[in-house]
Amino acid sequence: MHQGHRCDCCLSRRQCLRYIGSAALATGLIGDALEPAVASPKGAVGPADVIDPTTLRPRPRVRIAAAILQLPRPYWLGWPGTTYDLDKHQAEYLGMLRKSAETVGFDLGLEAKPIQDEAGMTALLNRVKEQKPDGLLVILQHMGCWGWAERLANEAGVPLIVFSPVGTSFTGHVLGISRRQGVHVVSSLEWSAVEDALRMVRAKRLFEESRILWIQGNQTGETVLDRLGTKVRQIPRDTFNLRFDKTPAGEEVRAVAATARKHAKRIVEPSVRDSENSARALVTAKQLLAEHKSNALSMDCLGMVGSKLVPTPPCYAWTQLQDLGVTAGCEADLFGAVSLLFSSYLLNRPGYMNDPVAETAKNLLVASHCTSGTRIAGFDKPAAPYVLRNHSESALGVSTQVIWPVGQPTTLIRFNSPHEVIVDSGTVVGNVNTPPAGGCRTCIEVKMDAVEDARDVQGFHQVVTLGNHKRMIDAFCQMYGIRVIRSPERAPTADEVAS
Amino acid sequence: MKRWMTLAACIAPASAALCAMAGEVTLSQPGFGTSKVDASGRLVEDWGSVGFKLALNGRSEPLTFQVTPTKLNGVVSAASGKGAALGLTVESAAYRAPAFPSGLDVLTLKIANPGASDVTPLLTLDLPAGAVVGERSVAMGGRTVLSLPMAPNVDQEVREWGACDESQPMPGWGSPNVPCDPAFRNIRAGMGGVPIKYRFAVEPREAVTVALGFCESFWAVAGQRVMLARVEGAPRQSVDPVAKWGQHKPGILTFAGRDANGDGQIDVAVIPSSSAGDQNPILNAIWLLPAGAPADPATLISGAMNQSAMRFVDVGGPGDQAIYGSGKAEFTVTIPAKGSRELTFIVACPGASVTPPSRSAWSAATLLKAATDVARDAPTR
Repeated sequence: MHQGHRCDCCLSRRQCLRYIGSAALATGLIGDALEPAVASPKGAVGPADVIDPTTLRPRPRVRIAAAILQLPRPYWLGWPGTTYDLDKHQAEYLGMLRKSAETVGFDLGLEAKPIQDEAGMTALLNRVKEQKPDGLLVILQHMGCWGWAERLANEAGVPLIVFSPVGTSFTGHVLGISRRQGVHVVSSLEWSAVEDALRMVRAKRLFEESRILWIQGNQTGETVLDRLGTKVRQIPRDTFNLRFDKTPAGEEVRAVAATARKHAKRIVEPSVRDSENSARALVTAKQLLAEHKSNALSMDCLGMVGSKLVPTPPCYAWTQLQDLGVTAGCEADLFGAVSLLFSSYLLNRPGYMNDPVAETAKNLLVASHCTSGTRIAGFDKPAAPYVLRNHSESALGVSTQVIWPVGQPTTLIRFNSPHEVIVDSGTVVGNVNTPPAGGCRTCIEVKMDAVEDARDVQGFHQVVTLGNHKRMIDAFCQMYGIRVIRSPERAPTADEVAS
Repeated sequence: MKRWMTLAACIAPASAALCAMAGEVTLSQPGFGTSKVDASGRLVEDWGSVGFKLALNGRSEPLTFQVTPTKLNGVVSAASGKGAALGLTVESAAYRAPAFPSGLDVLTLKIANPGASDVTPLLTLDLPAGAVVGERSVAMGGRTVLSLPMAPNVDQEVREWGACDESQPMPGWGSPNVPCDPAFRNIRAGMGGVPIKYRFAVEPREAVTVALGFCESFWAVAGQRVMLARVEGAPRQSVDPVAKWGQHKPGILTFAGRDANGDGQIDVAVIPSSSAGDQNPILNAIWLLPAGAPADPATLISGAMNQSAMRFVDVGGPGDQAIYGSGKAEFTVTIPAKGSRELTFIVACPGASVTPPSRSAWSAATLLKAATDVARDAPTR
C-alpha cells in the first residue's frame, strides 16, 4: 500500500517544486508548508506562470495578548499552595507560549510582569481595549484570580482564553465562565489544549482573511458572511469552462497527471488523457483563484458536466487542492464549502462533503462523494491510499476513491449558516465499493455515536473529517457565537410518528 | 465586469452627477438595488426613509445635513453629511456594506459636543408610519428594516402590552383540525432562534395565571420543535407540541405567574430548546387570568374565556401589537464635554432584511472592514 506522497519517486525534485508546491516538498510533507513557521519562500516556484498552490492559502496576522495573573507573593495556604513553585511554572508556561507562537503562528503581546492587583488589571484591560488583539490568553496562578478572569470576560471585548493549571480552580470556579460565549477555559495541565485554543483564534482569522470564489450562475458580485467575515465572490459559471478550454496540456499538466497516476493504489477507468484533463482543471482553478485573490472555491460542477461544457468533472483537481490546504467545494454549495474551510482551518486536514445515505440493514450512515482529500489525518500526515476512478454519475474524467481507515473516529460538520452548525460523530466501519453500490466513489460507512437511528442524521453535504473533534468544534463555536446542533439521540416512537 | 464599473463611476466625486441628483448620493453594490442619501441627509430605501431629530432642554430640531460623496478608508463609496443642531455638531456617513446575501446599508452618526459640560440630548429616529419598534430593531410589514445600536428609551410610548422582540407575525400559518378559537390559525415565529417575548402591565407584585396556546402545523413527528416557555414568577416549562398534543392539535400550558421583580410587568417568553432540530419557536395565543382562576384547556381552546380574561392576545393575529408605539424610537445619548458619541444603525437596503442584533455578529467595525476588503479587491478593467 502506498503511504504518503513523496514525489521523488515519480518526478524530479525540480519538477515537483514547480508543480506541486515548493514549500510542500521543501519540508517533505505538505502540511508543514501550511504552518507559518516554515512558510513557502516567495518566488521559489519555477516558471512564472505556474501557481504554487500553497500561496493560495491566506496567511493572516494573528495577534494574541497574554498575561499571567497571580496574587502578591509569598503564597500562604490557598491553592495552588505554598509548595507551588511559581517562578518555575511561569517560566515553563511562558516558554511553551513562545514556542506556540511559532508553531501555531501568531504575534505574541506578552505583559512584561505578572498582574497581581486591580491597578494592573485595569491597565491590562485598557491596553486590550485599545489594541483589540484577536484573542487574550491569561494564565491563572492562584485560585483567587477568578474574579479578574470574570472581569476580563465581561469587559475585554475580545475572545478570552483562560488557562487554569490544575491546582488553581475547583469545578465551581470553572462552571459558569467556561460556558460563556466568547470564553474558553482550559482547566488542565495539558498545554496542547491551550495550543488548540490558540488555533481556534487563528482559524477565525483565516476565515476573516479568506475569499471563496463562488463559480455559478451568470452574475458577478461580492458579499461577506456575517460572523465569519469570509468574502464570497461570485463569478459566472462559464468563466471556468471558457478558461479550461484555453488551458493547454503543458508541462505542468502532464507532471501533475503523472504524479496522480503514479501514487494511485489502482487505476480503474481513467486514461492518461482523463488525468491530463483533470490536471487542466487544477491549473484552471489555480489561475482563477489567483486572479480573484481567492483562497477557496465552490463551483456548480455538476451543472457544468450536465451541460457537457467540460470533458471532465473537476473531482480529482479538487482532491489535490484540498490536500494542499485550498478548499474546493462541490455543486456551488456555499455552506458546504464553509464546512470544508472549517475542517481545513481549525482541524488542519481536508475532509469531503458527502451525500448522506441511510443504510437501514446495518443502521449506518453511508457518506458518499467523489472529492475526498487524501491527507485526511492531517496536512502533515501521510496520505490515505486512493484508487483512481471516473466520476460515477457521468462516467467522465477522474475522481478518487479514498480508502478511509476502518475503526477510526470521524466527525460530521455542516454549517447551515454562519450562525449555526450541525456536528455529529461516529466511527468509520467500512469502505463501500462502486459497484456493487451506485453513487459516488469515496463511500464510507459510519456507525453514529449518539444517534439511535441513522435515518435521523441531520444535514446534507455534511463534511466528513477523520478524528473526533466535537469538543474542539464546540469550543470554537462557543467562542464565536455559533450555535451547535446535534442530530437527535433518540428515534421517534411509533406513536410519535403516527401522530 | 460592467457591474464593477458602474460602482466605480458612481463613487467618483467627479462623476457623482451621473448617478445622483444634486446633493444626493447613491449607494450601490454590484448585482443589487440602489439606495440614496437625499439632499437633506435622509437615507431613502425601498421601504421608506429614515432621518433624525435632536431635542435638548425642551427644544427640538430636525437634523439636516450637507451631503457629499466621499470614500471611507480611501475605497468605500459613501455619503458624508455635516450638520448642526442645538449647539451640537453632527457628522453622518452612509455606505453600502456587502453583507451576504443581499447587502446592508450602514448609517453612522457622530454627535460632537463642543461645550464645556456634558449634555444629554434626545435623539429621535424619524421613521415612516407603520414602523414597529422592537427592543433592538424596527420592522415594517414583518420585515426587519433597522438594527438599533441600543435599546430605545423606556420613557418612549410604551403600550400596556405587546410583543417586544423581533419575532414575526405569521397569520394563517396554523391549520388546527379540531374546533377551536381562530387564534390557533395565527402565530408569531422566532425565525432563526429569535425568542418570542411579550410584556403585560400588571400591578406591582401582582400574581396572575398565564395560559399559552400552541398549535404545531408543520411537524408531524415529535422532537423537532421543542421549546421552553417562561412566565415571570413561574417555573419554566418545556413543550414539544406534537409530542404533547399532536400535529394540528391545539394545546395549553398554564403558569402561576407573578411580577417577581416588582416592575409592574409580567414577562412572557418562548425560546427554542438548544437540542431542538427546528430552532424557530412559535406561539399562538396568550391569556392573562386572575390568579387562581380556573384555566380549563378545553374552555380556553374554544375561545370561551377570551372576553373574561384580563387580557387575551391572538398572537400574530389582527389585534396583535408591539410593546412600543409606532414610528418612533428615541435614545438618550450623553455626550461628554469636548467629546463625541458615535451610533451605528444597520439598515435594510432594497431586497434585504436586517438580522436582529441577537442573531448577528455584524458591528460597525466588521461591516466597514467587509466593505473595505471588497472595494479594495474589486476587479478593475
